[in-house]
Amino acid sequence: MSQFEPKIVAFFCNWCTYGAADLAGVSRLDYPPNFRVVRLPCTGRLNPKYILEAFKLGADGVWVSGCHPGDCHYISGNYYARRKFVLLHHMLEAIGLEPGRLNFSWISSAEATKFQEVAKDVVEKVRACGPNINFRKAELELGLSEVA
Amino acid sequence: MMSLEEISQKIQASAKRLLAEGRAEVVIGYRRGTTPLTVAPHFARTAEDCDQLVWSSFAKINLATYLPKYPGKVALVAKGCDARSAVGQVVENQVLRENLYIIGVACNGMVDVERILAGEPRPAFEATEDQATIKLSGEGWITSLAREEVLRRNCRVCVSRTPSATADEVIGDQTEPLSADDFADLKELAGRSPADKLAYFKGLVKECLRCYACRNACPLCYCPVCFVDETRPQWLGKSQDEMDTFTFHVLRAFHCAGRCTSCGACETACPMDIKLREFNRVLESEVQKDWQYTPGLTWDQKPPLTTYRPDDEAEFIK
Amino acid sequence: MASNKVVGAVLVAGGGVAGMQAALDLANAGYYVYMVEKSMAIGGRMSQLDKTFPTNDCSMCIISPKLVEVGRHINIELLTLTDILDIQGQEGDFQVKVRRNPRYIDMSKCIACGECTKKCPVKVDNDYNESLDKRKAVYVQYAQAVPLKFGIDAQKCLMLTKGKCGSCQKVCPAKAVDYEQKAEEITLGVGAVILAPGFTPYKPKDFETYRYADNPNVMTALEFERLLGATGPSMGHVVRSSDHKEPESIAFLQCVGSRDVNRADNGYCSSVCCMYAIKEAIIAKEHAKYDLKVTVFYMDIRSFGKDFERYYEKAKEKGINFVRSRIHTVQPKQDGGVRLHYVTDHGQSATQDFDMAVLSHGLVITGETLDMSYKFGLKTDQYHFAQTTSFAPVALSRPGIYACGVYTGPKDIPSSVMEASAAAAAASSKLASARGTLTKVVNVPAPVDISGEPPRVGVFICHCGINIAGVIDVPKVVEFAKTLPFVEYASNTMFACSQDNQEQMVRLIKEKRLNRIVVSACSPRTHEPLFMETLAAAGLNKYLFEMANIRNHDSWVHAADPAEATRKAMDMTEMAVAKAALLVPLTENVIDVAPSALVIGGGVAGLNTALTLSDQGFKSVVVEKDAHLGGIANRIHSTAKNEVVADYLEQLKAKVEADQNISVVLGAEVEKVEGFVGNFETTLTTGEAVKHGVTIIATGAKESKPTEYLYGQNPKVVTHLEFDEKIKAKDEAVAAAGTFAFIQCVGSREPERMYCSKVCCTHTVHTAVHLKKNNPEARVFVLYRDMRTYAQKEDIYKEARDLGVIFIRYELESKPKVTAAGEVLNVLVHDPVSGRDILINPDYLVLAAAIVSGREHELAMKYKVPLDGDGWFFEAHQKLRPVDFATDGMFMAGICHYPKPMDEVVAQAQAAAARAVTVLTQPRMTVGGIVAEINQAKCSSCGVCVAVCPFSAIGIDPEKGKAVVNEAMCKGCGVCASSCRSDAPSLRGFTNAGLFAQIAAAL
Repeated sequence: MSQFEPKIVAFFCNWCTYGAADLAGVSRLDYPPNFRVVRLPCTGRLNPKYILEAFKLGADGVWVSGCHPGDCHYISGNYYARRKFVLLHHMLEAIGLEPGRLNFSWISSAEATKFQEVAKDVVEKVRACGPNINFRKAELELGLSEVA
Repeated sequence: MMSLEEISQKIQASAKRLLAEGRAEVVIGYRRGTTPLTVAPHFARTAEDCDQLVWSSFAKINLATYLPKYPGKVALVAKGCDARSAVGQVVENQVLRENLYIIGVACNGMVDVERILAGEPRPAFEATEDQATIKLSGEGWITSLAREEVLRRNCRVCVSRTPSATADEVIGDQTEPLSADDFADLKELAGRSPADKLAYFKGLVKECLRCYACRNACPLCYCPVCFVDETRPQWLGKSQDEMDTFTFHVLRAFHCAGRCTSCGACETACPMDIKLREFNRVLESEVQKDWQYTPGLTWDQKPPLTTYRPDDEAEFIK
Repeated sequence: MASNKVVGAVLVAGGGVAGMQAALDLANAGYYVYMVEKSMAIGGRMSQLDKTFPTNDCSMCIISPKLVEVGRHINIELLTLTDILDIQGQEGDFQVKVRRNPRYIDMSKCIACGECTKKCPVKVDNDYNESLDKRKAVYVQYAQAVPLKFGIDAQKCLMLTKGKCGSCQKVCPAKAVDYEQKAEEITLGVGAVILAPGFTPYKPKDFETYRYADNPNVMTALEFERLLGATGPSMGHVVRSSDHKEPESIAFLQCVGSRDVNRADNGYCSSVCCMYAIKEAIIAKEHAKYDLKVTVFYMDIRSFGKDFERYYEKAKEKGINFVRSRIHTVQPKQDGGVRLHYVTDHGQSATQDFDMAVLSHGLVITGETLDMSYKFGLKTDQYHFAQTTSFAPVALSRPGIYACGVYTGPKDIPSSVMEASAAAAAASSKLASARGTLTKVVNVPAPVDISGEPPRVGVFICHCGINIAGVIDVPKVVEFAKTLPFVEYASNTMFACSQDNQEQMVRLIKEKRLNRIVVSACSPRTHEPLFMETLAAAGLNKYLFEMANIRNHDSWVHAADPAEATRKAMDMTEMAVAKAALLVPLTENVIDVAPSALVIGGGVAGLNTALTLSDQGFKSVVVEKDAHLGGIANRIHSTAKNEVVADYLEQLKAKVEADQNISVVLGAEVEKVEGFVGNFETTLTTGEAVKHGVTIIATGAKESKPTEYLYGQNPKVVTHLEFDEKIKAKDEAVAAAGTFAFIQCVGSREPERMYCSKVCCTHTVHTAVHLKKNNPEARVFVLYRDMRTYAQKEDIYKEARDLGVIFIRYELESKPKVTAAGEVLNVLVHDPVSGRDILINPDYLVLAAAIVSGREHELAMKYKVPLDGDGWFFEAHQKLRPVDFATDGMFMAGICHYPKPMDEVVAQAQAAAARAVTVLTQPRMTVGGIVAEINQAKCSSCGVCVAVCPFSAIGIDPEKGKAVVNEAMCKGCGVCASSCRSDAPSLRGFTNAGLFAQIAAAL
């Protein structure tokens, strides 16, 4: 009866997609509550290791979103990020990550509606993938003490 | 065609000349190994040392790996792939171009010793070769193998057998690529289910001991602190957790993306015979497709992750 | 003189992008600014735009950081809903009387929750969306407005008009509604005034032929812009107003209310419409998921700015159809569409049907602005734009009053921004003695040393009235927070941002010795700076702060599921606490700034920059590679406004020579560069070493040498500049000549040089008029592709036609053919209108040769600044930072940036000086905070970080051989940190450990 509710880690850049999420709030555009946002200054700050780490710690999905190419607050941060994403996305799907678990988007701070649409879409895609079994660690030993 | 003997002699002559002229303080090349079918790295500092320099189809070790450790003037005996690694090291500031002299050798591909030995269980005492054949002999037996058939996998798809564009001199007759890697196997795999792909790649590394020999042998792994040794935060668990091992291989390949020259040093070093390059090839195919980039062919190229084009394609990004 | 008093404050009227830029430059240069805005919020027209050409940048994304900066600036006093009534006094000491109109909402109490709007029963046309939808009588101008405070439309509010309703007051959780507010008049003392009133789009209601008034599917371009906008009435979905159907085809009609003296009395070109029409066409096609057919009907495509021509070409490649014709009749169709009647380029009548039509309406000065000009004694031109000269492009006719933006003529955003900075420089030029006398500084106590202390996290969870607490179980989140590691204290608060709660936080931080603070409330994008100030006031390093956005990202979007919303709030708080526990105090360091400039290039741009800097008391060294000053202007006869350039140059050079603050080095170039913002050291080829805080590149450009039309082979074929030199020298052969031909776009707008040289059309028509006036019998022919006499320069084009200059258009595919037969020059051109070939035998053939960059690669390398593909210096942002390089302390001016006429060169030079002053004015600069640092033990010196840094802030230390970050240049994007294979760089405030802790806490 109850459907699978995925846990999703989202990485948003401060200037565009985080702003779009703010605006979606102002506009009361509701979307499923399945993801938790890590705010980054720029998608260029996103180390591919964070994505792997999220999956290792049991995230069912990851969503990365930043400024449209050309809109970067830091001029070219998302251009460099895009190349990393191209490789990581290709690599992870080539080695068996289900399409739909790892999602990327460009959403400007004015695109609250797009934010809502993509948010719904990401949750549905990850839900369709089911729980992340293959890319998580067998035993999660990590606690705050370890990273601290 | 120049014989292997002649190539060896020319390498020796060049090495002596470079040492004499002060162009190099050391010439890094190969000498005969202590067992048949092997060669060992050789560091020639005197004319006498130079006499031991040889060339053979067993010279699979990528000597560029040693370059970042030598601060002075070095000459490197280099196959196409080794020269590409050395170019990468220069581009990445690990080696000073003015300190480096590349003695390029026209390479016909190195042979896969493990494969030869697997097919010939009798202990071999000696191996000799000419352009087309490898002759193995042991106690009371002798056998002949076609070189082409026992080439290493990476040598079959090498795109730069002779480093003519980057070497300071080239020895031997220019050799042309057999064929480029068409990644047909990866393309076929891409059409299969995620479960199949995962099974394939996890299967590749299931024997991995996390000894990091692959990393240590790689001419492009020179970080003072490797991510696997980090503790704050700890990128990778230290246990034999399957996902940690898998992640190591993903990140190892990722770190070589747009830099790997398919020299095969990692696979050569692996004690468990893991086909490590399969991870690298996934990215190599993407780098070629998206950015038409092949590492180590020219001195002025920018590694693809250090640059961008505003119109780079990324259709998967919504 | 009545008084010698000099007041260190400036009033900036108009809160659009120009006004904001002027205000920021002044406030950052040590002047107190009153920013007066008529409406409820700043942002102006740009806030209504969806995208900006030619980069398709999201307009709101790029201005919102500026909005926030203006809104929070300690030395900018924002007066919204304010009108200027009177300006008394003189330059240096004005008294400006203003009226502050009531908002009926107490700004100090409003938390912008929007409860009032929800309950308001009155629906009004929404002007932000160009009346395409409705808003309420109590409203916020737009979602990202600054100040983010609601206001009541007094004309429409039932309470204010009829004395009944009052529902907003009842529902307001912050008790901010006050129907009793009254207007008040105050007088502000300022040393100068900058007017940036902007424009209104031309209203095509009177154009019966376009059927705008009665066909909802005939829209104005600004309406269409709102339709494209993600925050617009259809959220970016292009649909017809009449039936909400997606149109299959759209026509753009150019020059509606521009270049039209018959119906609109607006003879000028509005300068931006071609480009915005192309932009809207491109964006509309992108938004449509089907093959939307777009046709632009135009007279001349005027894509004259930087990168505009490529944008136009790209539009053609994308299938946008361009038809050269002015539509004369729009006929409505039964299906809601329109039938356009027009005459083709070849003189034939044609019709075409479209589902929608967009009218590219011009920019006009409002009656109110004209009244203001009149009232304040400012001269205007026949189109009501404020009058200026080419050599003082932002100074108005009354001393001490300056202008920027469309007030002086139609222009695009970067030109407005340039003028805004120029106006800031000009306005403060007489106020330097009062700099810093009225500005405020924030005094914060020295932060306490928390080193060695374990984290003691204080968590404050905001109810935001009912905005959060109405959905989320706040007490439950508080109890949960108390159980988290390192949490020392957790509590809830009604309004975390309220003054009393701030005081309470300060008290608790001290009392409980809290050393990390987490606030779970609204967005850090709007409120983080406020809380960081609170930490600072409590003696805690302000970077020991983290926010969880449980309102915008939670209660407001998960209202239907309180249980999940509460769980999410708990997770978000846990993530914030996990990250906060790992935060460390970040230091900000001060570096000394050498209070002087190096200006490279001694042309009009460089000299104006140096003089403007001198007005502010800053010294500069001007390096000129030629043996004399003046640059390319030495070869120009007169400006489009008929000002004689030689006279001006003479005055300019004399002023420079007399100026104690300026030293000129002739015949020299830059040899070697070291240092960075505040601390450059440049060695010149003369051996002289110059220490300077900022660098201005003003190296100019060149006129290309044509390779066609017998140039260099026949003495009758000359370039523009060569012809100007003849005119300057009063050449007798020219005076005696009877026939002249001009060929436009020689080497410009061609595949290998895909840009417009911008100045040639105007210079040609200006010269043609000169020839005709000197000799009315002279036959003058202009062979052109698109006539680009933008803005008021269109009048010269018209004058030329009236004087009998003959204009013949040619296509790139059928260029004129020039041959010589003995003494006779034959110019053969195909006239598309008559369909015939025309032969001209000119005495002079003047070629509008392309302006080409000097391709200063070496200079660019030395200062680590970029050139674009055409060789122009590349600015930090094409729209909003047109004189800055991305590298701090580096600026540009003049035609090394892109070809431009004299007035724009002078404006950019003054702008560069204004931008430079914001650096030079601070004797010591604060650097640091959220910046990258390199762990040198991990650095392999591979150079990845150096290559990817967008701000050239990382270099390899020549001694240690390791990467080092220059904190003065780092902007904190973190690209280095994610690109390094060995994690040697780390971004303070966003460390790997902190982000890992957040990821772990999220799961």
